[in-house]
Amino acid sequence: MSTRAVEQWTLEPLVKFVKEAGARLVLVMTSAGQVLAQHGFSRAMDVMSAAALGAAIMASTDEIARQLQQPPFAALNHQGDKHGIFLAGVKTGRGRLIALVAYDLDASSLGLVQLFFEQLAADLQAASPKDSVPKQVLAADFERELSDSLNTLFGR
Amino acid sequence: MTATAGYGQALDLITRVGGVRGAMLVSAEDGIVVAEQLMEGIKGSAVAALAASLATRLRRAMEAAGVGASLFWHLQAEGGALLVVPTPNGILVVAVAEPDVNVGLVRLELLRAAEVVG
Amino acid sequence: MADEIKKLSSQLAQDPDSLVFLRLAELLRHKGQLDSAHRVAVTGLERHPHLADAHDLFARILADKHDYERAFDEWDMALRIAPTHIGALKGLAFLYFKVGDVEQAAAHLEAAQRAAPDDQGVAQALALARGGQVPQDTPGTAPAAAPSPSPSPAPVEEPLPAAAQPLEEARVFAGLEGAEEGLLLLDASGRVLGGALKNAQGQDVTDAVAAYLAGVSQEAARTTKLLGLGKWTGVAAEGRSGHVHLTAPTGDALLLVVRDRAVPMGRLAIIAQRAAGAARRWLEAHG
Repeated sequence: MSTRAVEQWTLEPLVKFVKEAGARLVLVMTSAGQVLAQHGFSRAMDVMSAAALGAAIMASTDEIARQLQQPPFAALNHQGDKHGIFLAGVKTGRGRLIALVAYDLDASSLGLVQLFFEQLAADLQAASPKDSVPKQVLAADFERELSDSLNTLFGR
Repeated sequence: MTATAGYGQALDLITRVGGVRGAMLVSAEDGIVVAEQLMEGIKGSAVAALAASLATRLRRAMEAAGVGASLFWHLQAEGGALLVVPTPNGILVVAVAEPDVNVGLVRLELLRAAEVVG
Repeated sequence: MADEIKKLSSQLAQDPDSLVFLRLAELLRHKGQLDSAHRVAVTGLERHPHLADAHDLFARILADKHDYERAFDEWDMALRIAPTHIGALKGLAFLYFKVGDVEQAAAHLEAAQRAAPDDQGVAQALALARGGQVPQDTPGTAPAAAPSPSPSPAPVEEPLPAAAQPLEEARVFAGLEGAEEGLLLLDASGRVLGGALKNAQGQDVTDAVAAYLAGVSQEAARTTKLLGLGKWTGVAAEGRSGHVHLTAPTGDALLLVVRDRAVPMGRLAIIAQRAAGAARRWLEAHG
C-alpha cells in the first residue's frame, strides 16, 4: 500500500502516522473535501466518495455543535465489528484540515489512533505553509484540479 | 458504593504500594482510559493505548505457545515497569512503576483491583 | 546389593524418620533404579528438608535423570544449608562445565578444594578446568568431576569439555533442560535461531509463536520508549496453564522461555538468565 500526497508537506507526517497507528486507510483533506494526501486507497472513486462523506460528516457534526452552542467536536469515532473510523480536524497554516482514518481492530485500536493522531496534528501544523491564502475555487478549475489531484494520488 | 467510587478505591490501594507511579483501568479493546490515578508526568492516554496494544500481542503469543490466557504480565525496562492484570470483562488494570518496585505486592493489589472491576 | 536394599527398605519402613533413606536411595541409584531412588529421596527430603546431604542426593538422582535445572536448584539449596558441602560444590561445578561456564565451574571446584584439600577427584577436575585438556574418559564412566563418588550406572553421555572447547555447534542451549520444548531463540525478524517449543499436547508450536514474538518485542520497545521508561529488558507473563519470559540477550535477538505453572515466576527469571547467557555465548561464537 502506498502513501501519496498532492501537497508534499503532508507526506512525511502521514507516513509516520500510518506506521505508528497501524492505520489501514487515511485521507487528509480540506473542510471542503479536497484531498491533500491519501494512504491505502486503490481506486479514485473510493477516494472521492470517502472524502465527500468524511467532509459531510464533519460539517454535520460541526452544525450540531454550533446549535448546542459549543465549539466543533474534536474528533469522532465509529466502531464496527472489525473496523473503526476516526475523523478529526487539524488546524494548520493551510486552514482547517480533516483526517479520515480507517483502522482494523486486529491491527490497531482507537487508543492508538488517538495517541498518534495528536502527533500527526502537531506534525501537520509544523510542516504546513504559513499564512497561505486559500484560492477561490471556480467551477472550471475544480474539475481540472480534482483530476490532477487524483492523478497525483494514484501515481499516474 | 458506585462503580466509579469502587474503581477509585481499587486504584488507590495500588498507588499506595511504594514505587508505583500511577494506576489506571483501561479498556483492552479500545486502548482508552476508563479510570486513572497518575503522578505528574505520566500521559494516561499513551499508557492506555500502548498497554492495550501490547496486551493484545502478548495474548496472541501466549495462546500460540499453549499457556492460555494471560493472568498477569510485567514489562521490565531500565527506567521503570508496567504491570498489568487483564480482567474477564475486557478491562486492564495497569500500574506504572519504578524498576525496583516490589512486583509481588503490586501484583497482589492489581489482582484485588481486578476483582472489584469484575 | 539386593540384600542390602531389602534390609534398608525394611529399616526405613519400620522407622520412616531414619536417615537410612540416604544409603537406600544411593544404592537404588547405583542399580539404575532411578524412579525408585527418586521416590525414596523425595520422601526422605519431606521429613528432613534441612539436611544438605538429602538435597545433594536428590540432586545427583535428578542429574542422572538429566533434569539439570532441578539438580541445580537442589545443589544450590544444599549449599545454602551447608556452604562447604563438597558434593554440592562438585555437582554445581559439573553443571557449569556442561554449559561451558568454565570460570564458574573452577570457582566451585576451588571452594571444594579449600573444604577438602585431600580430595583427588576435586584436584583432577580443577586441573582440567585450569589446564584445558580434554579428558580421555572411557565411554560409560562418569567424568572426573562428576558429582557421585562412585561410578554411576546411568552416566552423563559426553565427557567434560575442555576449558577452550566451544559449545556444541548445533545446539544453542546445549546442556540446558527444556531446549527442545521450552526455550526459543529468535533473531530480530522473528526467525528461529535455536530451541523449540511444544504445547501441552506435545505439538510443535515453534513457528506460530515465533511469528508473534517479533511483534511483542517491537511493541514492548515502543511502549517503554514512548512512556519514557528507558530500554525494555524483559516481559514476564503468567498464563492459565504456563508462564513465559521474553528477553533480548543481545540487541538483535529474542529469547523466550516457557514453563508450566508449577515453575514459579521468580525461578523462571533465573532460568531465563541462564538461557540468555548460553544464547549470548552461542551468538558470539556464531556471530
